[in-house]
Amino acid sequence: MGYPDNAIYAIVGYVVTTSILVGYAVVLFLRTRKEQRAQR
Amino acid sequence: MTNSNPIERLLKRGWTLTIAALLSLVAVYVRVVYFTPVESTQGPAQKIFYVHVPSAWAALVAFAVTGIVSLLYLKRRDEKLDTIGAASAEVGLVFGAVMLTTGPIWGKVIWGAWWAWDAKLTSTLFLYILFVGYVVLRGAVVDPEMRARFSAVVGILALILVPFIYFSVNMFRTLHPEPPVLRSGGPALPGSMLLTLMLSVVVFSVLYVGFLMVRYSLSVLKDLREKRAADGIS
Repeated sequence: MGYPDNAIYAIVGYVVTTSILVGYAVVLFLRTRKEQRAQR
Repeated sequence: MTNSNPIERLLKRGWTLTIAALLSLVAVYVRVVYFTPVESTQGPAQKIFYVHVPSAWAALVAFAVTGIVSLLYLKRRDEKLDTIGAASAEVGLVFGAVMLTTGPIWGKVIWGAWWAWDAKLTSTLFLYILFVGYVVLRGAVVDPEMRARFSAVVGILALILVPFIYFSVNMFRTLHPEPPVLRSGGPALPGSMLLTLMLSVVVFSVLYVGFLMVRYSLSVLKDLREKRAADGIS
């Protein structure tokens, strides 16, 4: 095909993106659980 | 979780949107890998584009929302606006982190360098640092009214940078390409690539709204709890 062999950069990019977004969702989940406990 | 009050309902809806968006992100990844062609000159690394552009979009929207609600706060002095601004700034930093890490990874492939101090990249980095300052400032000022007023001023100053960043590729000689869709002469992408990009932009936008709703609800619940505790003590 003649494409440059650089898929590793895309893989790293997607791993970083997923880690940041899912990581923040986990942080929000832990904050939600903490707040719900504090409300009781 | 009970649905007894509007904030708890908002929190639940925020979580529903967040989870739906994260699951849709998996579908976008599948489309990127299996149903979107490889760009002929850049190769597979170009696929970073489908997360870099949407994250930049979500970050700039988040920072613009903070700036706009900051303006409205100074006019109306409604603490809800201050809370929305703070929540949007934090969420904007998350999407900004994606933008500022995927950009250099892609840049290394197409420019041969991780970073270039050109107008777009430098002003984007400054905007990010400004919002880090915004969050730090909010943590440092105890008085809620003073905190809201000071951070609103920072939010408005940062808002000025948002259109500057967007149009910087037209104003300066820069390595960064023009926006791929909203550009003079129409979108510069084949249909299948454009569709993947637009799907990703929609998913990132929904994720932004979900994160914002959750973050805002948590702030309001915390404030209400602290007010109740303070009333109980006094």
